Amino acid sequence: MADTSPETFTLVITGAPYSSQAPQTALGFARAAVDAGHRIARVFLYGDGVHLASALCTPPSDETHWPKEWASFLEHHGIPGIACIASALRRGLVNEAERKRYALPGSNLLHPFEIAGLGEWVEGRRTSARTLYFHAGG
Amino acid sequence: MSTLIMIDQASYGTWSGREALDMTFSLAAFDQPASLLFTGAGVIWLKRAQDTAGIAQKSVEKNLSAAPIFGIEAILADRSACQKYGLDETSLITGVTLVDANRALLDQYDHTAFAG
Repeated sequence: MADTSPETFTLVITGAPYSSQAPQTALGFARAAVDAGHRIARVFLYGDGVHLASALCTPPSDETHWPKEWASFLEHHGIPGIACIASALRRGLVNEAERKRYALPGSNLLHPFEIAGLGEWVEGRRTSARTLYFHAGG
Repeated sequence: MSTLIMIDQASYGTWSGREALDMTFSLAAFDQPASLLFTGAGVIWLKRAQDTAGIAQKSVEKNLSAAPIFGIEAILADRSACQKYGLDETSLITGVTLVDANRALLDQYDHTAFAG
């Protein structure tokens, strides 16, 4: 019989939406884990994965809006979603604080995502039984 | 908790290797034991005397040479991949340990990850 005792997971997403399957595979895993009684400690967006936290993604209306799907899942379950600050700034994903700091024309971080450093990933690994990586592949 | 971060893509073609390096430095900064393993085309990272002026990228050689100073425990390279890409002790940067990238090696670490 499979061990079903609750586990804590940290998820790392490095593949961008609409160029890789990584965000939706990660969301499928996260939903299944929560449904089975496990806990997602945090979701860390790294590399191209930070595009998942963009408030400006506008897919055609007959396609799934992956940033909004993820945002609503995180909000519903009270799970922190964190975009790596170095990855985010390189790729043009900024919150209000960074917009002011760098005098940029706008900010585009989707609520409830936050921007923080790699220390959040280090901490997530330390406090979770497992850390899973969702890459673009190829 | 010891961690092995693996890089299997050549330098300069994508940013994932640089970001893997940042992850490794970050672990070391938080006093978490971390090592790097270069496999496949990733061993190209370790070639001595890289000149990146023509592609307007910073050389990764300088970053790697700083790894021991920042507390990264080891820079490992898969022996067979080095042979495949024509790299030996004379053409590799200093401080690289040749290993066989196999199950026995990975079993020595609590946590292994590719960055992308």
